[in-house]
Amino acid sequence: MTVSAVLAVVVFAGAYVLIASEKVNRTAVALGGAALMVLIGVVRGGDVFFSEETGVDWNVIFLLLGMMVIVGVLRQTGVFEFVAIWAAQRARARPFRMMALLIVITAVASALLDNVTTVLLVAPVTLLLCDRLALAPVPFLLAEAMASNIGGTATLIGDPPNIIIASRAGLTFNDFLVNLAPIVVVLLGVFLALAWLLWGRRMVYDPERAASVMALTPRETIADARLLRRMLVVLGLVLLGFLTHNLTHLEPSLVALLGAGASVLLSRLPSDEYLEDVEWETLLFFAGLFVMVGALVKAGVISELASSLTSAIGDNYLPAALGILGGSAVLSGIVDNIPYVATMAPLVHDLVGPGAGLPPAQQSLWWALALGADLGGNATAIGASANVVITGIARRNDHPISFWTFTRYGLVVTAVTIAVCIPYVWIRYFVVT
Amino acid sequence: MRAEDLVEQVPTVTRATTGAEAARVVAEYRLSGLVVADESGEPIAVVPGSQLFGLVLPRWVRDDRKLVHAYDEAGADDLCRRLNESTIGDLLDDEKLTAKKLPSVLPEDTLLEIASAMDEAHSPVVVVRDADGTFRGVLTMSRVLAAVATAAGQDSDLVRRRLAKDIILRGTPDESGPTREAP
Repeated sequence: MTVSAVLAVVVFAGAYVLIASEKVNRTAVALGGAALMVLIGVVRGGDVFFSEETGVDWNVIFLLLGMMVIVGVLRQTGVFEFVAIWAAQRARARPFRMMALLIVITAVASALLDNVTTVLLVAPVTLLLCDRLALAPVPFLLAEAMASNIGGTATLIGDPPNIIIASRAGLTFNDFLVNLAPIVVVLLGVFLALAWLLWGRRMVYDPERAASVMALTPRETIADARLLRRMLVVLGLVLLGFLTHNLTHLEPSLVALLGAGASVLLSRLPSDEYLEDVEWETLLFFAGLFVMVGALVKAGVISELASSLTSAIGDNYLPAALGILGGSAVLSGIVDNIPYVATMAPLVHDLVGPGAGLPPAQQSLWWALALGADLGGNATAIGASANVVITGIARRNDHPISFWTFTRYGLVVTAVTIAVCIPYVWIRYFVVT
Repeated sequence: MRAEDLVEQVPTVTRATTGAEAARVVAEYRLSGLVVADESGEPIAVVPGSQLFGLVLPRWVRDDRKLVHAYDEAGADDLCRRLNESTIGDLLDDEKLTAKKLPSVLPEDTLLEIASAMDEAHSPVVVVRDADGTFRGVLTMSRVLAAVATAAGQDSDLVRRRLAKDIILRGTPDESGPTREAP
């Protein structure tokens, strides 16, 4: 290993420890680490800004930015609040039925938008519903965080790790739908059963309290029906753009940016309103992370690691896939799954190459990474961004969720969902083919 | 005109005062802000009147304002009744709705200095303290603006009455008052 490679590993490991410790702002760490990689001469300006392998992955950054703007406009319409209250009334305010519908809504919205925004929008209305029903909101909030991570697994845009995997592996929106959506549907059913066992069976129905939920007026939450109609069209077109990538060859990032532009034009909202949901700090975190991982790639650390793993794996892709599935689930529970996947994606790339066109056995490694990282995020309160957001909202509303409360349920859900994925990966990529 | 000419005594509340009691004091005295005092009577914070709504609105509604439209009349009244369960202390502890830090002026400060202190703190009330820190009373926005209006030539009977009497002395709006004990 060269001196620059050793230095790159030291900087990267130090940054990783700091990010995992959550003692220092993760964006500051990522940008600081990126700056050190430049200062020690591992990467140069050209690598940082113009290299797909070793620099900032602009596809990821702009896909996130575009979707954040679209959601920023969409949330102004009040549609999320309407759907959640409508669902509670459809459930006749029976606690578990309501929880089940909120789980499904959260999962579907997380697949189509992003899971952080989804929980940000669903959590306040959940607190309102639980307050009306005099129910403890913590089980509902936990269920929604976990449903968002499960639902987000289904699509390319659902969870940031999937966006990174898609970009690094050259996988399309349809690839994700075909490979991950079917198992996510199964996982959602399994999660509903788990939710009943963990929380639902102890919930008590109070007809008087239920009446106060039935008295709510969900239609009043729609702030701008005209804008809502327009935004549903824009969102539909954006999804169509993702689905027809093979025909149009438009990158998902471009589709999202076009959608964002259309949303801004149609809504005529002032910039501070549609930019309110853009998490600039997260985008900068991604940029710093890409530079740090790029430095490892350029210094040859990733390829060395990959070649030693390749010789260890040989043609035994099943144990490799299952190892990545389980290992990713464990590691994603310990550290945020975004830096984990940003590091692992180039490694898997070196192991089996880009995902598109690979034989199923080799491609399984990419899907195992996505499933492990996305579902592993459910294990602890810091495993995924949605969990951090939910615990923050709960704390602000005087219903704190301790790390161990989250982990107690999160470990069960992660273990069961990963266990369901094992036969799926085996049968789908090794038996059926 | 200087701060010492405008200083007045206003009802104060404490951290233990319920939101409902605080709302009553604001309504009775038509206050634009509340002075929060500690157990010894020493002012510790000023709460602009509008921030009291932070005790009426649940946090989830403040996070997502569209939800407020979902409540029917009975639901809204139910939330208002919860003012009896919350206290001024809750408001002071709320990270999003932290009440203003206690802005203060000296007795000899001019109208401009008073206006600057109120403007900078976005507070409808400032306290007046001597140089040694002794509490002298407070300046309320309505009385300061009465002085500003007078200085600007907008004089009237009502403005003169406002300048002549402080809130405690003028009593409740029907002028039947004196004064009730501060809660």
